[in-house]
Amino acid sequence: MKVSEDQLLDMIAEEAIIDRKTLSREATLADLGISSLDVITLLFELEEKFGVVIEEGDMPAMTTLGEMVDFLLGRINAEAA
Amino acid sequence: MSRRIAVTGLGAVSALGATAAANWEAVREGRCGIALHRFEGGQHAPEPATFPAALVAEGFSAALEARLGRKVLGSVDRFAQLALCAAYDALDGAGLVDHPALNNRTAIVLGHGQGGQETLEKSYERFFGLRSQRMHPATVPKIMVSGAVSAVAMQFGVHGPVFATSSACASSAHAVIQGAGLIHTGLADIAIVGGSEAIATPGCMSGWQAVQALAAQTCRPFSKDRDGMAMAEGGAVLILEDWDHAEARGATILGEFLGGGMSSDASHITQPSLAGTSAAMAQAVRAARLVEADQVLISAHGTGTPLNDRNEAASIHAVFADRARSHPVIATKSAHGHLIGGSAALQSVIALQALREGVAPPVLNFNAPDPECDIDLVVGQVRPISARHALVNAFAFGGLNASLAFAA
Repeated sequence: MKVSEDQLLDMIAEEAIIDRKTLSREATLADLGISSLDVITLLFELEEKFGVVIEEGDMPAMTTLGEMVDFLLGRINAEAA
Repeated sequence: MSRRIAVTGLGAVSALGATAAANWEAVREGRCGIALHRFEGGQHAPEPATFPAALVAEGFSAALEARLGRKVLGSVDRFAQLALCAAYDALDGAGLVDHPALNNRTAIVLGHGQGGQETLEKSYERFFGLRSQRMHPATVPKIMVSGAVSAVAMQFGVHGPVFATSSACASSAHAVIQGAGLIHTGLADIAIVGGSEAIATPGCMSGWQAVQALAAQTCRPFSKDRDGMAMAEGGAVLILEDWDHAEARGATILGEFLGGGMSSDASHITQPSLAGTSAAMAQAVRAARLVEADQVLISAHGTGTPLNDRNEAASIHAVFADRARSHPVIATKSAHGHLIGGSAALQSVIALQALREGVAPPVLNFNAPDPECDIDLVVGQVRPISARHALVNAFAFGGLNASLAFAA
């Protein structure tokens, strides 16, 4: 496994400049203030760090942080396998 | 000029310190922030080169982060981070952080010679060096010259007129005058004005070297052996406020902005013109009614280049004629270096504190008088002054001149 859920949440907190403590799986992206630019910045950093190319257009419609984390972890760690 | 304009806040970050007070203390004590630095451009760059520069120490954003968190700070280029810190220092001192007046009746005008140069160079390294088409998504918003004013507006919740000015080394002087104009015309009661710059980057330093503007060792304004400027990074902000507005909210009034002058040489892209620089000074002197003043503290543009300083000394004579030597001249770029877009604002922050304390800080690194610069230069040590007024000069590449007049 390339990335754990904890590590990914650290990166999200860093890239979207959000207090790490407020990041819960149930929180919605809208409530957390995670914008489209934050998401593509995160995808850019994931590619830089792990060499995993994920296009924003490939991402399904998502409401909660948990949904996004599951999708991203699935893609990153699938390519690692 | 119907509305009087008070100065109610001062903020600064430079090699001399991370607050306006720290910057003043350093120049008063004659401390120099300029040192030789090695500029290393990475694996695709030529061999590193060494230049004198006045760089800001890390940790400059600690006060802002401790109070307000990293809300905007982490997502912007260094030039905008420096602007945010200077703005915080000024707003905090003015008692305006979280004040309702920031919402709709406040303007922001900051000047920058360039925008996010560090981001630009990193993106070029990816594109030309690593031959990558994939840029960081924040590349454009970090590079744009208005990125700093947007960051300040977002951080402090300012919804009024917000824009950047750009006129190379005079950028923040133009910003001060534009901000004052917004108060005069009734578009704002408060204007957050100033500027910042962070172009001491490896690629940019080579550009400055190519124009032969950089000193070999340090900045020696008006000294006979001067040989150029020292690049600096930093930012400075003044809070301009409608006088009645400031009084009504019980603000401490630190000084008054009396007016400014602006001119264009329309002559040469790097060489100054006596007619242009003295026209800007003369306008400011007339606006502030300083023609007959006993003593005016002149904060010279004083870059330490042979041409600027000679032309500036001649401008002081052209404007004040037989009274030219009555006015003490300081040149604080010898301490904080040349912040390009941020210089005029930092010099204003320092000049106001000099007026308030009644002392003029010395020109540093001065070795020998130049007969072609026959002015009353403050050298050696701090000098007590009686001046109640200050004139701050900014003469930019491209012949864009501005001069600011303050009282305290």
